[in-house]
Amino acid sequence: MNTVQHKFKVICGALALLALGACASNKTPATADVAVSRAAVANATSAGAADLAPEEMKSAREKMMRANQALAAKDYKLAQDLAAQAQADAQLAQSKANSAKATAAADELQQSIRVLRDEVSRNTSNQ
Amino acid sequence: MKLMTKLSTLPAAVALAVVLSACSSSPITTSELDGARGDFVAAQSNPAVAANAPVEFKAAAEALDRANAAAAQKESLADIDKLAYLAKQKIAIAQEVTKQKQAEANVAQAGRQRDEVRLEARTAEAEKARTAAERAKADADASRRQAEMAANSAREEQAKSAALQQQLADLQAKQTDRGLVITLNDVLFNVDKAELSAEGMRTAQKLADALAQQPNSMVLIEGFTDSTGSSSHNLDLSQRRADAVRQALIGMGVSSSKVSTKGYGAAFPVASNSDAGSRQLNRRVEIVLSQNGAPIATRR
Repeated sequence: MNTVQHKFKVICGALALLALGACASNKTPATADVAVSRAAVANATSAGAADLAPEEMKSAREKMMRANQALAAKDYKLAQDLAAQAQADAQLAQSKANSAKATAAADELQQSIRVLRDEVSRNTSNQ
Repeated sequence: MKLMTKLSTLPAAVALAVVLSACSSSPITTSELDGARGDFVAAQSNPAVAANAPVEFKAAAEALDRANAAAAQKESLADIDKLAYLAKQKIAIAQEVTKQKQAEANVAQAGRQRDEVRLEARTAEAEKARTAAERAKADADASRRQAEMAANSAREEQAKSAALQQQLADLQAKQTDRGLVITLNDVLFNVDKAELSAEGMRTAQKLADALAQQPNSMVLIEGFTDSTGSSSHNLDLSQRRADAVRQALIGMGVSSSKVSTKGYGAAFPVASNSDAGSRQLNRRVEIVLSQNGAPIATRR
């Protein structure tokens, strides 16, 4: 084999070793990530995401569960991946819930203004 | 030898070409990554996103960069998809936060609008109340004026009536069943004549004034004499005296259609005719006023 092909193989091999070496030290960060995503799911629940963003909440809980399983099975890379996804899902659920509430409040307010305006115009036309 | 020289003079370009050809010949992407890129472009082209959710948008951009880098470095499709998914979710978060902030701004503005409309409503109500109060006051003023006018005209009527009563009292009018009776006695005429004396004219004037106050009254003037002289002479004299009073009243503005006369001669005496005093009493003119236009009943 020529120099370049050989160099390529060495690089790939080194990367693989690096990846393997990195795996062993992933336990603490993985546990931390899972904890963070659990907190994100809790925040989303208290924002009312269960009603206002059910799909995203379902996905978040599912991935949380699988992340915990991966953590128990010492598959730290998988646990981290799933935790990251669960966190993203939970954050999306929470922001959806918040925007739904704000939109509802705005609509209600607009409606009450319309009602008020109608009353005023009725009163002035009755004079 | 030639090959070695070529290889050594163009190391970078050749190495790159070989590496590229060793792996694949075109940049890789996945449908997940394409979707994320598309979502990002949409978010980027909405100025509201950068304005309302700058932190979330930056996080989304960084996540997409990581996914794009993984694709460029030809990492596994699964890894690219994982990063693309995270990027997609973060872009969606930025969009939702934008919506939320916009709705909150809406609420703030709407709150101000509602306060304005409330103020408008209260002002309109106050205006309405003020107009109603003004109208009520105007009505009250009008009623008060009307009441005053009514009181004034009532007082005027009273005064007129009192004046009339006074006049009638001056004329010594007596109320009988035929109406009011005013007696003009003998001294108001010249002796045996049918002309009214000055005093008689003054009395006639008082009568005319009283009649002016009572436009509906009808007048019957009855003439009488004492028993001396012939009945034809007395009838004639009594009639002429009654007519003289009538003429005087008409001259003073009393309507002629209201006044009628009758002479009775010596009939219906009011005294005995046995002495000068009683005979004088019998020489008289009686004026009967009926109120309210009712015709005067004739003597039996």
